[in-house]
Amino acid sequence: MSDETGEERKEAGAGLMQYSPEGMMPFGPVHPSLKEPEYFKLILEGEKIVQVIPRIGYVHRGIERAAQERTWVKNIYLFERICGICSFAHSISYTQAVEAISPFEVPDRARYIRLVVAELERIHSHLLWLGLVGHWAGFDTLFMWVWKDREHVLDLEEEITGNRVHKSYSTFGGVRKDLPDNIGEKAKAELGYIEKRATYYKDLVQSEETLAVRTRGVGRITQETARKLSPVGPLLRCTGIGRDVRVEDPYAAYDEVRPEVQTSKDGDIASLLVLRLDEVLDSCRMVKEALEKIPAGPVKAAFPRTVHEGESSFHVEAPRGELFYFVKSAGGSVPERVKIRTPTMANLLTATEMLKGQTLADVPVVLTGMDPCFGCMDRVSVFDVAKSKGWSVSGEELREYGIEYYRRKRG
Amino acid sequence: MVARKKLGGALGEMFKTAMQRPVTESYPFGRKVVAERFRGRLDIDPVKCTGCSICEIVCPAGVITMVPVGMKTIGSRQVEVKRPSFELYTCISCGQCVDDCRFGALTLTHDFELAVFHKESLVMKKALVVDK
Ligand code: SF4
Ligand code: SF4
Repeated sequence: MSDETGEERKEAGAGLMQYSPEGMMPFGPVHPSLKEPEYFKLILEGEKIVQVIPRIGYVHRGIERAAQERTWVKNIYLFERICGICSFAHSISYTQAVEAISPFEVPDRARYIRLVVAELERIHSHLLWLGLVGHWAGFDTLFMWVWKDREHVLDLEEEITGNRVHKSYSTFGGVRKDLPDNIGEKAKAELGYIEKRATYYKDLVQSEETLAVRTRGVGRITQETARKLSPVGPLLRCTGIGRDVRVEDPYAAYDEVRPEVQTSKDGDIASLLVLRLDEVLDSCRMVKEALEKIPAGPVKAAFPRTVHEGESSFHVEAPRGELFYFVKSAGGSVPERVKIRTPTMANLLTATEMLKGQTLADVPVVLTGMDPCFGCMDRVSVFDVAKSKGWSVSGEELREYGIEYYRRKRG
Repeated sequence: MVARKKLGGALGEMFKTAMQRPVTESYPFGRKVVAERFRGRLDIDPVKCTGCSICEIVCPAGVITMVPVGMKTIGSRQVEVKRPSFELYTCISCGQCVDDCRFGALTLTHDFELAVFHKESLVMKKALVVDK
């Protein structure tokens, strides 16, 4: 907690120690079933979570160091693989950071295309998230519907970039290929469909009881907490603070196709659901607008293979929030230093705050609600303060438990 | 009350989707049609390849090794002739080599079925032919 003094923190630590860790399940640093391991140690009193200790770094693969040995262009493909879902956000952030060292003017058409693909990525990421919240809340029908609809966006992305996930599309000086012919009509039709579905889901998530019970008032963060812990992206905007990199520091073509910053007030998972669907709708509008306004011309300008000496930092609004890149060049064919801060890193402490005071049954929904790359739940180990006993549960067990808990609660 | 009213909404949707044909594709019987630009397995045209090594230099995944295939006389000099060999099991289908090959020897095909029993079967050596 941010308002604790060092002394208090030490005391809290000692407090935890007094419940001897006997019986606590040791967790190896690598777990084969996970996509992205994060480790949250939950200290419980009965059902209630009183303390959360996150631990990260299990899959530290030294990407930043690896980047120092690879050429500028090779690094585009490396950074893209940091995250599958926001791969394009990583590649535009890195390429624009490198372009900013020179500085280098990217053709207008390329700026628009970057916006189009970045927004399509936001749509598919938010839909993926919505499906996952549905799954963890025990509403699998929603999960299947949403993921079915998400295919439409992925197909559109494949049509434009050549791949659904690792788009490998942005490069220094622009994008690698022009938009395919008559993509405008196809995009319009597909986005019209997505808009229709998103409006329906927005209605559904606000009124469907299954979701309402599991998300309303769950994982609430106040504006005050948000100000202290500075989360980014939807997690910040759901508390009513309307901050968005696309508006505050426009990149690509965001100064010409302006996003409307969506906010909601409650700061709980239910408001995140509505907020993200609002963002989907806004992204659909932006893609359509960009495809209408897009100027003709080249999509790529020749960029030198070596980058002259200098440094720059760049941030973009990835689907999960602000993604930050710092790039330093010593003038050679490889970068001297690259530093990356991903949104989940910024949101992690807020997630621990969201978990406090919740019941064990809410853990999957809250942790998914912050939109980490979700595998985390398989790593939860449980420590019951009253019984002084630790054990571990898998993500699937926890999901079943959550559904059962709410079923019993409702009687 | 609201919930009951809205459950109607979800139910309606459920009936609608139950009547539709399945959205999943019955792979491998119904083949997925990929987009025109889809980047699948890499292929090389041995006739067009000149052995310039550019693809080896730009490949981010270390797929390509230049292998000596013989000697060639240029003027009065004897030079080694090399051709690329591809270990496609590490290929990420990024297409950087395709973009940078000035002779148009490389293409990315639409083939996405790259699961094999032995990774050696994904080593492509068909460019290893000596210049005529
Ligand atoms: S495939 Fe193209 S780039 Fe590679 S060696 Fe042959 S000609 Fe050069
Ligand atoms: S497609 Fe990419 S990874 Fe594959 S051989 Fe070409 S450059 Fe290397």
